[in-house]
Amino acid sequence: MSEQWKHEKWAQDIWYRGKVTRRSIVGWGGGAIGAMMLVPAPWRAAFGAAKPYKIGSEQPLSGAGAAGGKTSIIGLQMAADRINASGGINGRPIELVIVDDETSPAVARQKVTKMVQDDAIDVHVGGFLSNICLACMPFWQDAKIVNMITVCLDTTLTTSACNRYTFRLHDYAPAQAVAFAPTLTKMGKKWHIVFADYSWGQSTRDAYVAEIKKNGGEVVGTTGIPLGTADMTPFLSKISGDFDGLFGIFFGKDGVTIANQAYDLGLTKKYIWAGDGSISESSNLVAVGNKLDGFTAINRYIPVFDGVLDTPYLHRFFEEGKARLAKVDPSHPLPDKYVQSNYEALNATKVGMEKAKFDSRDDSAKLIEALEGLEVKESDDFPQGDKTLRKDDHQAFLREFIFTIGNGTYHLQQVVDKDKTFVPPACKFQAA
Amino acid sequence: MNAVGHFFQTFPLDLLIIQTVNGLVAGMILALVASGLTLIFGIMDVVNFAHGELFMFGAYIGVVVMAGTGSFWLALIAAALIVALLGAALQIVTLRPLIGRDPLNTILATFGISLVLQNFALWQFGPTARRMPEPITSHFRLFYLDYPWYRIVIALLSAAIIGGFWLFLKYSRFGIWIRATAQDRVMAQAMGIPVPLVYTGVFAIGAAMAAASGVLFAPLVGVNHAMGLDWVLKAFIVVVVGGMGNLGGSIAAAIFISLLESYATIWVDPSQAVIVSFVVLILTLLFRPTGLFVSTPR
Repeated sequence: MSEQWKHEKWAQDIWYRGKVTRRSIVGWGGGAIGAMMLVPAPWRAAFGAAKPYKIGSEQPLSGAGAAGGKTSIIGLQMAADRINASGGINGRPIELVIVDDETSPAVARQKVTKMVQDDAIDVHVGGFLSNICLACMPFWQDAKIVNMITVCLDTTLTTSACNRYTFRLHDYAPAQAVAFAPTLTKMGKKWHIVFADYSWGQSTRDAYVAEIKKNGGEVVGTTGIPLGTADMTPFLSKISGDFDGLFGIFFGKDGVTIANQAYDLGLTKKYIWAGDGSISESSNLVAVGNKLDGFTAINRYIPVFDGVLDTPYLHRFFEEGKARLAKVDPSHPLPDKYVQSNYEALNATKVGMEKAKFDSRDDSAKLIEALEGLEVKESDDFPQGDKTLRKDDHQAFLREFIFTIGNGTYHLQQVVDKDKTFVPPACKFQAA
Repeated sequence: MNAVGHFFQTFPLDLLIIQTVNGLVAGMILALVASGLTLIFGIMDVVNFAHGELFMFGAYIGVVVMAGTGSFWLALIAAALIVALLGAALQIVTLRPLIGRDPLNTILATFGISLVLQNFALWQFGPTARRMPEPITSHFRLFYLDYPWYRIVIALLSAAIIGGFWLFLKYSRFGIWIRATAQDRVMAQAMGIPVPLVYTGVFAIGAAMAAASGVLFAPLVGVNHAMGLDWVLKAFIVVVVGGMGNLGGSIAAAIFISLLESYATIWVDPSQAVIVSFVVLILTLLFRPTGLFVSTPR
C-alpha cells in the first residue's frame, strides 16, 4: 500500500526515467549550499535569514543558587520569545546564550570569558548572586560589552563598584530603605537587624541602619549569619533585649531557614517581624506555610492583583509566567521578582538596542548612550510599572510595594511611588 | 576574689544553658549524618561524596510520603527504607565494580553520583523548596525563648537511632559480620563472611541513616536540592576529627564541635563561630591526625 506511489505516472517520470539521479541531487545540492555561503550578509537579511543578536546570560543553574537561576531564565525566555515573535530587534532575531555559573564566582569568570571569546555575545543580560556579579563586572568592562544586571541587589554594583558598562533596571537597597524606613519607624523605634553575612546582606543592612536613623529610629544591634547556614538557631538564640522589631535580610533557602527558625524560637511573636521581600518570595512561601504570617516587607513585585496591581499587563505576565514555571516545577510556584526583573531587563535592553540602532558589540558606546536616562512606561514589556534608568549611576528607580503576609499570602499595604525612592547617586565612572 | 564574683555575676548563665541545648541538638543531628559516613569509610574505605545527596533524597521522599499519608513517622520510616534500597543499588552498580581499585576511583564515582542525584532532584521536584511540617509544634519556656519541643525530639530520636544501630552492631549476626569485616576483611572472607554483601548492607545502612536525618531536619529548613551540602561538609570534619571510621569517635566529635560552635556564639560573631570547627580540624590534622577520639593512635 505504502509503495503504491511508485506506480503513479509522476513518480515514474521523475524517479525511473533518469530525470533525477543521485548524482544530480548531490550536484545541485552542493551547488545550492555553496551559493548560500557566498551570498553576502545584507542579502541574507533581505531573504529573512538575519543574523541573530547573541544575548549572553550567566545564571546559577546548579549548586546552591540553582533555584533562583532556574526561575530567572523563565523570565528571560518569556521576553526572548515575545521579542522574536514580534519581529526581533532591528529586524533581527535574538538568541539567548545561557551559561551555568554553578553558583561559583571562579566558574562564572571562566564561563564569562568563554561567552566573550568563543560565543561572541553582543550584550549580557543576567547575573543572580551579588558576589558573582561583582566578580564579573570588570570582565564586561574590559570586553566593552553592556552588562544589564537582572537580579543582583548588592548596593555597590551601582555605587562604589559601578562602571560605565553595567546597568541595573531593578531596585537596590538604598531605594528600598528610603521607601520602607518611614513605615518601619512607625511600627517601632528600636530595631535589631539579622542579615545574610555577604555582600548584598551587608550593604542592605547599612542602607537600613542609615534610613531608620534618619527617620528617628535606632538600630540597637545586628547579627550577620553566614550564607547557607542550615542551623541558625544558635545565632538566633542570642538575639534578645529591649527592642521593638526584628528586621531580616535573607533570600533563597536562607530565607526559608530564617522564617522557620525565627518562628520556632518565638522571636516573631515577641518582636515585630519585618524585612526584605526576598524572604517572602512566592517560591519561599510554599516551604514555610503560615510561619511567615504577620511578616511585613517591601518588594518590587508580588504576585497579587490588589488595587493598582490589578492591571491587564500584570495579569498577562502572571498567567504566562505561571504556565511556564509549572513546566519546570511540579509544585506550581507563582512568578516572583526574579522572573519579573529578568523579563523587564531584556525588554529594556531591546528598547536601548533599537534606539541605538545597535548592530554588534562594537556599538556598545551607542547602546550605553541610549540606555542612560531611559524612561520606560508601564506596559506589557514593563508590567511592574514605570522606570527611570538614571544616567549618573545606571541605577533604575521604580515603585515599591509594602505588604504583610497573612494566611500564607500577600496583602498589599502601601504603594511607594518611584519618585519617593530616589537617593543621590554615589558612583564615579572611570574616564572612558 | 571580687573579680571572680563579678565574672559569675555578669556571666550569661541563661545563654550558656541555651547554647548547651542548641549544641547538643545540632550535635546529635550531625552525629546521625556523620555515623553513616564514617561507617561507610570504616568498612569500605569509601569517602562517600554523595552522602549529602542521600540526606536530601531522604527529605524529598519524606515530603512525598507525608503528602500522601499525612504521617510524619511513616514518612521517616519509608524514607529510610527507600533510600537504603537506593543506596544498595548504587553500591552494587557503581562501587562494587571498583573494589580494590585506587581510592580516587571511588571518590570520583561518589562525586558523580552526588551530581546526578542533585540534578535529578532539581528536575523531578523543581527549584522551589518544599515544606515538611513538624509532627510536634509545642514549645517550652527556656529563659527568654520559646524553645520548640521538636528540636529536643530530633536529638532524642537521633540518639535512639544511633543507639539502636550500636545494639545491631553488637548483637545481630549481620552486625558481627560488619565488625569482623571492619577488623580484617581478608580474614572475614576466609571465615565465610560474605564481604560483598556486607559492603552492600553497610552502604544501605549508611544511606538510611542519612535519609532519616534528612527527614528529621527537613521541618527546620525546608527541603531543597542543595540541602545536603550544608551538612555534609561538617560531617566530613566530624569524621576526620573523630577518627576516620571510628563510629564512637564521630559521635563524640559531632557533639564536641557543635557545643564548641554554640558556646563560641556567646562571645563572637556567627561568622567567627563557624570557623571553630575548621580550627579544630586543622589542629587535629596537625597534632593528632588519627583523630581526637581514638584511644591509641595507630
